[in-house]
Amino acid sequence: MTRRLNKKLEQQQAPAFFVHGPSALARLAFFSVLSLALMAADSRLQYLLTVRQTLQTLLHPLQILANAPSQLYRDAGEYFSTHDYLLSENKHLKQQSIGQAITLQKLNTLALENIHLRQLLQVNESIAQATVAAEIMHVGRDTFSRKIVINRGQAHQISAGEAVVDAAGVIGQVTRVYPLTSEVTLITDTTLAIPVQIERNGLRAIAFGHGRDSSLDLPYLPSNVDIRRGDKLVTSGIDGVYPTGLAVAIVSKIEISPDSPFARIICAPTGGVENHKQVLVVSIAHAHTSQTESSSQLIAAPANADANQPANTMPPHHTSE
Amino acid sequence: MYMNNFKSVYLSLILALILLLLPWSGFALTVRPDFMLLLIIFWLIRAPNLCNVGTAWFVGLFVDLATGGVFGQYALAYTITAFFAVTYQKRLVLFNRTQQLFYVFLLLFISQIILLIIKTFAGGQLIGWTYFIPSLIGVLLWLIAGIFGLDVGGHRRDH
Repeated sequence: MTRRLNKKLEQQQAPAFFVHGPSALARLAFFSVLSLALMAADSRLQYLLTVRQTLQTLLHPLQILANAPSQLYRDAGEYFSTHDYLLSENKHLKQQSIGQAITLQKLNTLALENIHLRQLLQVNESIAQATVAAEIMHVGRDTFSRKIVINRGQAHQISAGEAVVDAAGVIGQVTRVYPLTSEVTLITDTTLAIPVQIERNGLRAIAFGHGRDSSLDLPYLPSNVDIRRGDKLVTSGIDGVYPTGLAVAIVSKIEISPDSPFARIICAPTGGVENHKQVLVVSIAHAHTSQTESSSQLIAAPANADANQPANTMPPHHTSE
Repeated sequence: MYMNNFKSVYLSLILALILLLLPWSGFALTVRPDFMLLLIIFWLIRAPNLCNVGTAWFVGLFVDLATGGVFGQYALAYTITAFFAVTYQKRLVLFNRTQQLFYVFLLLFISQIILLIIKTFAGGQLIGWTYFIPSLIGVLLWLIAGIFGLDVGGHRRDH
């Protein structure tokens, strides 16, 4: 077949002498300038968001097509999963749900108590959060950054800046939203910083992605800082992006050199940054909601224990296990 | 007949785009060759009357879209690479297979270097020497395609 194709295409070599239009050099100059202009317009002026969204929608069917083989493989695997496996999984999930129900009851009481205490103190900090479950479609194709693409977008009320978590902790932040998909920058990307707090002593810091070797850096902390290996970092929530108290990372290595005033602290993310399929997109709903509104939401939330719930209850679980 | 050829160019480009959109991850992502660039080089050498530097730019734009980076990075890299491919097109057709492979490797390498420069300016993270593996895999693909009879119509001395 390729031979036949070859023969067919051989004949078109002839008109190559009569190629008209501008020279290759002129084209090179024109399109290079155009590319540079595009880069400037996109990165500095953010003019091309709608263009990108439109083209991305055009690309969506192709994306579905490209994802089809792996999707089919997974579906087939699910279909042929054994009876025993399903039974054991069911048992495991039931046990887990009982454990979670107990914590949830405690949480309900605690939430109510917290609201009353807050009312007594007349502070209003508690912020209700909304969550959307999403599935990772594919990891980013750009080898220079750490991103994933999830299957929820504008159509599902996702907006840029929302936090993305999985069952074990924060994995990233939504950075770009398309109509049907959105792009999440992982916490291990060098461009992402996340305000954290050491769970043990409440020390605040900022964690930066380290890039290549999926770890986090904790710079700007003095060498005499009270931090130990195995310390758990949770979100401090002072940025108004990430809800308070979500697990982020565990300190894995501390290097103190005598010639530097700062300690070199490396942490391993707790969330499955590389290996999960289901994630939750958490948005802090309207930071300026009135006290009554946010409190009623907080009371209502534990009552309807649905898929949205784990995001709220996650950190307590983790510590209790 | 010309229609047919245009069709084969665009159909193959769409196929390459689907290949690019496959859910690559981990090791596969580091060794994934640049399908779109390989194909555009192939068509530039084989059918310079059907595609030119502008086609490469347009294809690059779609790769930019698929990778989610800033618009124009791949477009610029492809434009410059396509320029080199077009400039030496007539000579390239006369090369034998080994020379051709070396030349294609050089083209892929040029595009990667340009991308590296752009990304470094943009503050991306560097990934070490494994960054250049896709060029080698790309040449390997070119070689395999040649063995299966899909060549650019040059090196007539072999026949």
